[in-house]
Formats: sequence, structure tokens, C-alpha cells
Amino acid sequence: MNAIIALSLFGITNLFLGFLNNRKILLPATLLFVLIAFGLNLADWNHEYYWFHNMLKTNNLSINFTSIILVATALVVAISRGFGNDEEHTHPAEYYGILLFSVVGAIMMVTFQSLFMLFVGIEILSVAMYVLTGSDKRNLRSNEAALKYFLMGSFATGIMLFGIALVYGATGSFDINGIGNMVNQAKLQDIMLNPYGPILYGGIILIFVGLLFKISAAPFHFWTPDVYDGAPSIFTAFMSTVVKTAGVAATYRLLSISFPAVYGLWGNPLVYITCLTLFIGNITAVYQQSFKRMLAYSSISHAGYLLITVLAKTPTTNSSILFYSLAYSIATISAFAVLMVVSEAQSKSGKPDESFTALNGLATNNPFLAFVLTVSMLSLAGIPLTAGFFGKFFIFADAFSNVSSLFKTIAVVAILMSTVGIYYYFKPIIAAYLKKGDLEKIELSPIYKLTLIITTALTILLGIAPDLVKNIF
Amino acid sequence: MELTSTVFTAKAIYVGVIFAITLGVAAYSTYFERIFAAFFQDRVGPDRAGPFGILQPLADAVKMFMKEDFIPANSSKWLFILGPCLSMFTALMTSAVIPFGDTIDLGNGVKFDLQGIDVNIGILWVFGIVSLGVYGILVGGWASNNKYSLLGAIRAASQNISYELAMGLSIISILMMTGSLSTKAIVEAQQNGHWNILYQPVGFILFIICAFAECNRTPFDLPECETELIGGYHTEYSSMKLGFYLFAEYINMFVSGAVMATLYFGGYDYPFYETVVNSFGENVANLIGFGALIGKALFFVFVFMWVRWTLPRFRYDQLMNLGWTGLIPIAMFNVVWTGLIILLPAEFNLSSWASIGVAIAGIPVLIVGLFIYHSIAGGKKKKTALAR
Amino acid sequence: MQFWYFLTALTLISALMVVLSKNPIHSVLYLVFTFFCISGHYVLLNAQFLMAVNIIVYAGAIMVLFLFVIMMLDLRRNSPDSKTNLTKLAGAVVGGTVLVIFIAATRKINLGTGADNAFYNSQTGMVENLGQILYRNYLLPFELVSILFFVAMVGAVMLGKREAGERNF
Repeated sequence: MNAIIALSLFGITNLFLGFLNNRKILLPATLLFVLIAFGLNLADWNHEYYWFHNMLKTNNLSINFTSIILVATALVVAISRGFGNDEEHTHPAEYYGILLFSVVGAIMMVTFQSLFMLFVGIEILSVAMYVLTGSDKRNLRSNEAALKYFLMGSFATGIMLFGIALVYGATGSFDINGIGNMVNQAKLQDIMLNPYGPILYGGIILIFVGLLFKISAAPFHFWTPDVYDGAPSIFTAFMSTVVKTAGVAATYRLLSISFPAVYGLWGNPLVYITCLTLFIGNITAVYQQSFKRMLAYSSISHAGYLLITVLAKTPTTNSSILFYSLAYSIATISAFAVLMVVSEAQSKSGKPDESFTALNGLATNNPFLAFVLTVSMLSLAGIPLTAGFFGKFFIFADAFSNVSSLFKTIAVVAILMSTVGIYYYFKPIIAAYLKKGDLEKIELSPIYKLTLIITTALTILLGIAPDLVKNIF
Repeated sequence: MELTSTVFTAKAIYVGVIFAITLGVAAYSTYFERIFAAFFQDRVGPDRAGPFGILQPLADAVKMFMKEDFIPANSSKWLFILGPCLSMFTALMTSAVIPFGDTIDLGNGVKFDLQGIDVNIGILWVFGIVSLGVYGILVGGWASNNKYSLLGAIRAASQNISYELAMGLSIISILMMTGSLSTKAIVEAQQNGHWNILYQPVGFILFIICAFAECNRTPFDLPECETELIGGYHTEYSSMKLGFYLFAEYINMFVSGAVMATLYFGGYDYPFYETVVNSFGENVANLIGFGALIGKALFFVFVFMWVRWTLPRFRYDQLMNLGWTGLIPIAMFNVVWTGLIILLPAEFNLSSWASIGVAIAGIPVLIVGLFIYHSIAGGKKKKTALAR
Repeated sequence: MQFWYFLTALTLISALMVVLSKNPIHSVLYLVFTFFCISGHYVLLNAQFLMAVNIIVYAGAIMVLFLFVIMMLDLRRNSPDSKTNLTKLAGAVVGGTVLVIFIAATRKINLGTGADNAFYNSQTGMVENLGQILYRNYLLPFELVSILFFVAMVGAVMLGKREAGERNF
């Protein structure tokens, strides 16, 4: 809660910092703001608070999610390089300001107690993302992505809002605990004899259509590749980490608190959605020529892995989701960091080259970047000794510990799909080490280099000793 | 049953009277507009039809009706007719919630409100209807299938929605003072000389500027600009359809005068009310109140005309600049300052004179603030201009 | 009750006309009319404040901007029907299925015997009560929505500024 208030004020401060003629101050200032918010967030550790007439609830789970979001934000801010040095055309203060505001929305999504807050949070995050997606105004692809994201996204939130209205009509409450109680009561009677049962069901399904859209699960994933591809890389990194984590956290919170009693209703459809997501995400990623687009499809597949453990609802689900989100976020950010510098160095006629061929021969002159890329790809693929391995391991363990045989099937599908993943995650590594290219040595700023070192070290550290954070979660 | 039917008859008569007054005032506004114009320009003005030309509006009306009612071939026929109807409709609807007077005793203990309907959102009703006034112009301008009409309509509409914002913000200060949206409650809070104009000088200035813009009157009469747009949105209109548009403008003037009187000048309040009640009874006193409100409204109609024949018009970009970067920030300031006006005397148990003092102190603060802002922003603008 | 049926029929018809009319300007005007009908429903529920706000915000401001843009674009001239028959069919099937599901779901609802007089309060929709709830129970969302609008505003200004330089892909 304190983090929300602080970040709102910091966002406005950032906009005012834009009046200063010194653009260099923005990056350290924003980083400082995010770290202050991180500290404020941890201040409530081991307490359970309800805020402002049960609008928000903070507990250790939500604090953990908020921490992951803030860590990812800090890393993204650290690799933002002040959003270009083009003095006249860019508005770095606005970018940083909107970024901080969008984090406010993300934190609301992981701490909400009332469906109101969920909706407002999703809207803040989405509107900020629509704007940032289109922030490269001279790039037509960016314009297209922003418009597409905006139209699809507003339909999705509209559908979700309709769902919330139906759930409110059926249960008479916006509070997720209150809804949970009502659903339990409804469950005790015969569900179909309950006068409002059908309305409740319709509402639940519509809410999840909206949420699954936000985390780009399979039948609602069509916007993802275009939007991730068109948006400036730095915001794609933000979208595929912070937005995804917040979306999965919101889905999990709602499913586990409000609707566990009617598992029979949403369980089966979500299982099929999960399998479809894994399948589409991984298979389509194989055919991509562009590194950035491949990362977009891989983010779809990771949404599938996260949904498995959300569905399995074992006692370890909390820590599995947290660990996977953290591992995935760190690896994705370092992959995007490498992609950004390399594609800029390889740019042809002002347009950055984001295909796999841009990575050719990266290792000859830039061994550090090649190593960072390798570690992040291995982690995303789930190879042992990286954080991604344990992320996937915990999730598969959750699936196997569920008594239902359905989950064993899902786990098998997931394992098959992660072997497919190994194929396309190795493509950039092969390009970097085995192919020949004429890439010059790329100069990195100290903070950029430091960020890459931190992400890589964390990935390896968590791959060797996952208990370091697993015990906290 | 007896009671309801009496009230019902009285209400019907009341509505008829208000309707007649509105239309009559609107008709004679055209005459007085020309008389005043003549006076300001040192000429004679209409003096042929009847003594002093007072039959001129009738002659005009006959002329309007007799002209050919023309509908352009490629226009959208129904919308072309709908446009002036909407304009007239919205102009007339507003007066429903204006309290033209206090209660009248009809005998048998039946009290009758001199107000169309006292809804508890009265002022929002006015605001909503005003915001709908745009449609009459937009629809008419578009349906004419004429470039100039369309441009005039779009000008009028963008002007209206821009100035509605500042208008709404200045109304918010009034709501803060009264604590109610009901027009009746707003008037009752101003009885015995506690007129809002004393507490809200800045708000009133904002409101009257916005009222000028909402009525499309000079200095904001950009929608009809002969040199640029021929006749504006009603270029293609003739006969009584044109008459409706022109008539709606005068009705709007009268009604916005009545609204201003209600919000800022005590409504039907007038000095020595108690004396009149004691010597002539309540009914007479309240009927005089009714007359007082009409008088105040007519004074504002005069102000409208006065301004029209005194000031030149704005350029279109100046108009937008004034609305968005001038009036809205000042209205924001006024909202904040109104908080001070309410809080300070309440906190220190001061009389209402203290509130008036705070309110008037707001004006120099505003002027100094604007001066400082302009010296900073102006310097920056010069700098960027030099850099280029 | 009679009036409710009349108003509902009017709402549905005008809402349908929004979709069915060929001319976008007519669609917008029907949409404005639909908003009026919805405001009428608010009046029937004794929620006058919502009625006024619905008219001011939707009919008075947002739809005027819609009209603006549509008039400026002049859609009549360039509106090729880009959808293939297959897309239309798919859309009809999906939309129809959702419609059928929702009709099937709502069919089961037991509407009960109407309002419960013990809990009924005619003043619920009045602006005073609305304000009390908004500024007490729902203070936090009310304040945080301002961030939403602020982001939208900053974003609109940022995206609206014209940038120099060539466009590229």
C-alpha cells in the first residue's frame, strides 16, 4: 500500500523532473524511486493488513509478488539508457513517469481485495502499456501495435467488467472473500437450483476471459506477437515480465480465494487452455526468424507453464509461481538487454535488426554479451544449473503431486513442449557462437553492464541454490 | 383529489406563463438588440412598424413564415429538420428547473412552488441540457451537406465542449458553498443579501465568459463568420427553420441570464423583502420576487447585447487558448480558493464578512500568480523561440 | 411497469439501429438516443445523479467527439466491405453461441417477487448517499482512478505531439 502511494507521487515527481534541462538525472532518480518503493513494500513483512475499507490486502504472498514486480521494474529501468539521446523527439520524463504509474497498477493487481481494485489496477497498467507501446511514434509498426493492443485490450477489459458486474449481481459483493463465502453457500445447495447460479457462472467465465487475455493465454494470444514485436524493445521487456507476473498473480489470487468451491466449473476449461497455450506458444516459436518475435511466443508458452501450477493448487503453489516468475523475469530481461544493444549496433538505415542473423558472431568480439545471452537462453529453456530449471522443476513437481490423473497428462505435455523449447532457445546461442559475423565490439555503459552481471549471476545462483529464495517465498 | 388537481392546474398555468415569457422576451430581444445597436452606433434603429418600431418582431416573424422553406437536394432530410428542432428544444428545456419565485399560497393551505420541478440535481440538469445544445448545431450543420455549414458546426461544437469544462468547474465552487445540487437550495442559501457574487467574484466572471461562449455570442461568435464561413452552420437554412436557430440563441441568452441570477445573484431575493411581506402579504412579496428574477435575467440579456456591440471578436486559436489554458486553470484555482473561503471563517468562528474578505483577497492572489506564471513561462517561450 | 417495457423496447430498438444503420452519423445519433433511454432507466430507479452524469458525460461530451471525428473522416466515401464471407460466418457463429449460452443461463434465473420492502430505500440513488459511499467506502479506488486518467492524459499529449523525421517500418 505504501509502495502504491509512494510510486504515485514519484511518478508525478518524475514528470516534473522533465522540466529540468538535465536528462541524465532521470534514470538514477527513477531507480532510486523504485528502490524506495521496494523498501516501503518490505516494511509490512509478516503482517496482514486490510487497507481502506477492505479495498486492498497485503500479506507475505502479495509482498513477494510486489517485490518481484519491483525488481523487474528496477532492472528494466536500469537497462533503459535514458530512452535515447535524441534531444528533440523523445520524452524520457514521460516514459519514466508512465512506467512508474503502470507499476502502481501492477501492484494493485497483486494486492487487490475488491474487484474494483482489480479493474482499476488492470486499467492503469493497460492504459500505460498502450501508450508506451506506441511511444516510438515514427515507427509504423509501433503505431499499429499500439492501436491493436488498445482495441483488443479495451474489449478484453470490457468483457471482464461485464463479468465483474454479473458476479456482483449474483453474490452482492465486490470483496473477494465475500464472493468466496457466497460461492461456498451456493455450492452447498444444488448449484442449478440456486437462482443466481447461472449468472455467477457466466460472470466467472467472462472475468477469466479478460484476465487470460492480459497474460496472453492461448485462444486470447493473437495480439501478443504483433504487440511485442512492434513495441520498443525496452517496453516489450517490461510487458513480458511485469505485466505477465501481475496478470498471473491476479488470476491466482482470484481463483484461490473466491472460486475454489466451484473448481469443477473453471478447472476443465483452464486445463485445455493451458495445454493449448503450451502447444501454440512453443510450436509457433520454432518457426520464427526474428529473435524478438521468438521471445514473444516464448512468453506465451511461459504463461502456460505458470497456469499449470495455478491449476494444480497444491500447498507449494505459492512458492512455485513466485520462483518461476522471478526466474523467468530475470532471464527475459537479460535476453532483451542483449537484444537491444545488438540490434541497435546492427541497425540498417535507422531500423534495428532484430532477427537471429543479427546475433551472428556475437561471441568473437563480445564474449560477455554472448555469455549473458547463453545463460538467459539456458534458463528460459530450463537447463540444469540455471534458475529456469528449478522453476520448471517445481511446477512439474506440483503437477505430479496433484492426485488427478489429468495433471499427469498436462505435465507430460509440458515436458514435451519444453524439449521443443530447447530447440528454439538454442538458435540464438548457435548464432552467437558458431556462425560468422562482422559485429564490432559494443561499448556498454557501467550501469548496463552491472545490470547484466546481476541478472546473470542471479540466474546461475538460483540455479545452484534455489533454496535461497524458495525459503522466503 | 381536490388538492392535486389544483396544483396540477396551477402548474399547467405556470408552465404556460414561463413559456410565454421566454418566447416573448426572446422575440423582443431581437428588437432591443437592434435598438441598442443603433444607440451604440449613434443611429436611429427600427422605427417604422408601430410606435418606436415596437411591432418590428411581429413583422420579422411574418417575414420568416412567408419565406420559401427550402431543403437542399443532397441533404439528409430528416436530420436537416431535426437540427433546428433540437436547438429549440434544448433551449426551452433548461428553464424547467430554474426557481422563478418562492411559494405562492393558493388558499386551503395549498402551497405552490414557482418552479417547474425541483429535482435534487437541478444544476446538473441545466448543465446536461446545455451540453446537448451542441447536437442541434452539429446535426443541422452536417445535414446541410455544405462545407461551410460543417466547418461552422464543428467550430461551434468544439467551442461549446471546451467552455463547458470551465463552466462546470466554476459551478463546482457554487456547489461547495451550498452543499446541494438543487437550484432551489442554492437560491435559499442566498436569501437576505448573501448573494454568491460576494463570495464568488472569480467564479462569476468565469461563468459569464463561458455563458457567452455557450450562447455563441460575441466575442465568441466564431461559428458564423461571414468572411470565413459565410453563415456558419445555418448557411443552408431559410424560413422558420433559420428562425428557430436564431430564436434559440435569444432564448439561450435569457435562460442563461436567469441561471446566472439564480446561481450568483440570489435568484428571487430582493432587498426589503420583510417589509413587503409585512405590509402586503407573502403572495405579493413572492410575486415581486418573481419579477425581480426576470428583471435580473433581463439585465444580463442587456449585458450580452452591450458586450456584442462593444467588443471585437476573438480569433479561433485565441478562443481555444483562452478556454483551455486560461479559464480552466483559473477555475481550478477558484475551486481551491473556495475551500479556503469556506474553511477559514469556520475554523476561526468569523462572520460572513470574513468570507467575503477572503473571497476578495483571492483576486489579487490570482493576479499575482498569473503574473509570476507568465513571467516564467513567457521567458521560457522566448528562449525556445531564440533557440530556433 | 408498463413504462419500463416501453422504455426497454425503445432502448433495444435504438441499440439495434446503432449496429444496423448504414450511415455512421445515424449510428452515432442512435447511440445518443440509446444513452437517453438508459438515463430513463436510471430515473425509474430513482438514481437522478447517474442520469444527469450519464447524459453530461456520454451524450454531451464523448458522443460529440465521436460525431466530430466521423464528420471529419467522411466515412461514406471510403468504406469497402473488407470482411470475407468466412469471417462473417465465423463472427456470426461465435456471437450466436455466446448469445445462446447467455440466454440459456439467464433462463434459469428465478427473479423472485420483486423488491424486498424491508431493505428498500428510495434514497439510495440520491447524490448525497452516493457521495457518502464514494468518499468513505470507495475512497481508494476513487483516488486511484485519478492516476488512470492522469496516465491517459499524459499519454494522449505525448502521442499527440508531432515528431519530426521520416516514418519507417
